[in-house]
Amino acid sequence: MLNETDIKSYFLNILNEENDVSAGVAAIRTLMKIIKYHDSGTIQGLLEDLKLGMEIMKNTNYPSAAITSGCGLFRRFITLAIKDTYTFAECQNVMLDRGNLFLNKLNASRNKIKKLACQFIVDGSRILTHSRSRVVLHALKEAAEQNRYFEVFVTKSAPDDSGERMYNDLRELKIPCTLIMDAAIGYIMESVDFVMVGAEAVVESGGIVNKIGSYTMALSAKAMNKPFYVLTESVKFSRLFPLNQSDLPDEYKYLPTARSGDLSKEDPLVDYTPPSYITLLFTDLGILTPSAVSDELIKLYL
Amino acid sequence: MADPSTTVDASLVEDAATAVPQPISELESLRLLVQQQAAALDTFVKNQQSVNRGKKVGADGLTKKERRALKAGAEKNVEISNAKTNTIDESLNQPKNNVAVNSKSSKGKLQNDSSTPIKSQVKNHTESPPKADTQKSQKTLDAKIKENEKETLSKAEIKAQRRAVQEAQRQAKANQKLVVTPNNNNQATKENIKQNEQNIKLGKKVSPKIDLIKSPIKHRVQLFNHLYVGDFQEQNLKRYTLNKDIHPAFLQLGAQYLSRSILGSNARCLAMLSALKTLTNDFRTPPKQEFCRSLESTLKASITHLNTCRPLAVSMTNALRQFKLLLTQIDTNLSDNEKRSLLQERIDKYIQEEIEKAGEAISNEVNKKISDNDIILIYGYSSLILRILVDAQKAGKKFRVVIVDARPLLEGREMLRRLVCANIECSYLLINAVSFVMSRVTKVLLGAHALLANGYVMSRTGTAQVALVANSFKKPVLVCCETYKFCERVQTDSFVYNEIADPDKVVTVDASEKSSYLLNWRDNNYLTPLNLMYDVTPSDFVTAVVTEIAVLPCTSVPVILRIRPVE
Repeated sequence: MLNETDIKSYFLNILNEENDVSAGVAAIRTLMKIIKYHDSGTIQGLLEDLKLGMEIMKNTNYPSAAITSGCGLFRRFITLAIKDTYTFAECQNVMLDRGNLFLNKLNASRNKIKKLACQFIVDGSRILTHSRSRVVLHALKEAAEQNRYFEVFVTKSAPDDSGERMYNDLRELKIPCTLIMDAAIGYIMESVDFVMVGAEAVVESGGIVNKIGSYTMALSAKAMNKPFYVLTESVKFSRLFPLNQSDLPDEYKYLPTARSGDLSKEDPLVDYTPPSYITLLFTDLGILTPSAVSDELIKLYL
Repeated sequence: MADPSTTVDASLVEDAATAVPQPISELESLRLLVQQQAAALDTFVKNQQSVNRGKKVGADGLTKKERRALKAGAEKNVEISNAKTNTIDESLNQPKNNVAVNSKSSKGKLQNDSSTPIKSQVKNHTESPPKADTQKSQKTLDAKIKENEKETLSKAEIKAQRRAVQEAQRQAKANQKLVVTPNNNNQATKENIKQNEQNIKLGKKVSPKIDLIKSPIKHRVQLFNHLYVGDFQEQNLKRYTLNKDIHPAFLQLGAQYLSRSILGSNARCLAMLSALKTLTNDFRTPPKQEFCRSLESTLKASITHLNTCRPLAVSMTNALRQFKLLLTQIDTNLSDNEKRSLLQERIDKYIQEEIEKAGEAISNEVNKKISDNDIILIYGYSSLILRILVDAQKAGKKFRVVIVDARPLLEGREMLRRLVCANIECSYLLINAVSFVMSRVTKVLLGAHALLANGYVMSRTGTAQVALVANSFKKPVLVCCETYKFCERVQTDSFVYNEIADPDKVVTVDASEKSSYLLNWRDNNYLTPLNLMYDVTPSDFVTAVVTEIAVLPCTSVPVILRIRPVE
């Protein structure tokens, strides 16, 4: 049986040591660990434990959008699929099997996405991206390996300057790239061919929740009639329907440390981009239009 | 005569109905109509007396011609006084007439005949004298009429009259035969009555020609020509109200739909389901038939009747489809009583699951989206929206409601009354001012008549406007709709399928305005008021649809339709 600090340290360990793992996958792996070491002998006890685990992970200093959606899907596929006939030990094994299957599928998804997105990167493309997304990085890498010539513009992405990390990663891959200011999005937009970003969560409307500034970029791309592509794994699909920015849940927008204080003075970490500004979503389920996302979600959850 | 709120489960309607629109004025117009008809009848009876006496000047000191003119005037009045209430009156009166005819009251006959006066004048005359010398008097009368009326009548009228006279002669012959066997007197009168009824039907073939001459102006908007039901409705109503196959619960329901005293998609569906329950309860299987099969055929007539009164709502069509499906699936080995109770149980379950629980789920979902200090704009009346807002108030949320209303139904007033009763802070305005308040609003909540397969929303006229304005101010628009109102139809405009309501409701004129040309628009060739019931809101204007299954973008409606277990 894992206690609270164990869960937390295990989760943080994954994220710190393995650079290539997203928060959602890390959360699912932590939940698997909880199932593995659970010993109360009852399903109900296990479910309680999982719930507790989710709460703990959400309260770490990682943005909770991906964690929430990952845990939601995990619960849907593994925990809800319990049949009454199994003994607890059998049940535990079934859950772990299913969990591993699920994780394998997720690991394969990034490869699928980069293959899909790669087709859209043609020679001479000028691509604008925001913040640091592992999937986008993979896709760009794949395109570079296929000897496509293209240029990337990366925003600095305050406040955590994750764009700088992206810039360095691209430099390592010998992909021509330029680091631009966040405020220069509008300036650069006329000269790029399309925008390619990742997502922290894909919501039911078909819109995305992503690093602050994505919405600005989408608005500006729409005004300039540039395609706005989103690369995302289907694990990030979540059952949420924000109506506008203020309707986004606070736990998505602010870190747990900030949530206790006065939120009106706090800078949000993410924003919501409505589906009307998104051209296409590249997922492991295929290339989807925003409206197809909710169809897929209904299929997943109903 | 039926009081709208008696037999239909009053609590249901009270809960969900938008049972607003001015029952008083409805009643008043009805009373007016009855008065007019009474007047027409009066002159008619007087006429008859004078004809019987064979005098040219009647008791009221008028010549025949003058009296005819008067009567025509009265008739025209009846026609003009809005077509809708006219038909209600008929649908409500007719069963009574039926009874009257059956009990061989000559008054009943008179009332029936008053719709086709020229013919009936002749016919009644043939009936009133002792039956032995009918034919003789008939001939002399014919001659008289011909002499008197040749100059004054148009060709069509003469034709119509000749036909009526022939009819009367035939009847007289039949009468004569019957006189030979006086024992069968009872039967004779019965047959008389039957013939009378036939005459009524035949009379319809005659009357339109006369109508054409009397009312040359057809007030119809060309674009909506396919939606007008007026004549067709009137004719069918007459036929159906004489039909014994229709359960009284459905007759009453029809009248209530017609008078719009039951209004709103949910309320109409609930009322229909409760009538359906009554029918199931009262239905006795005819000999050598199966319960469900015969019930289905009986139901068919009733539904056709409802459809003539007012086109069925999508919610009703869906509920009916489920019911019919159930009828085919039911185990035939069960006894009638078992089937009956099973059917009623399933209707109750349908109400509970598709309407009650769905409403609750939607209310929960929307309540998550209502936050403190919200200003919520709503349009007209919707039982679901009312429920949501009242629930939100109970949950202790602090919000304000802006009610947007529009003529002619002014449903928002009922909404206002109920919300204020629930201690919710409201403001009330008409749709002309919607762009003025929209900038302050934080959310727009709308009800729906139906959701179409392309994601468009069909709702009360004006909804599209509100959604358009909200969209241009970038305010989130939430459409609340139970999934049983989803519809496979695809529609991109309000022309193809819609409903035309009474045009008189649009032209109501301020009391201070004494001489508005709107008052007598029927005499004006260039003026045609149009009163549409529904419009279609494009899905672009709708942020999300809230259903009991999930909050969805409009584009996902077909997915829901696909996963919904129908057939």
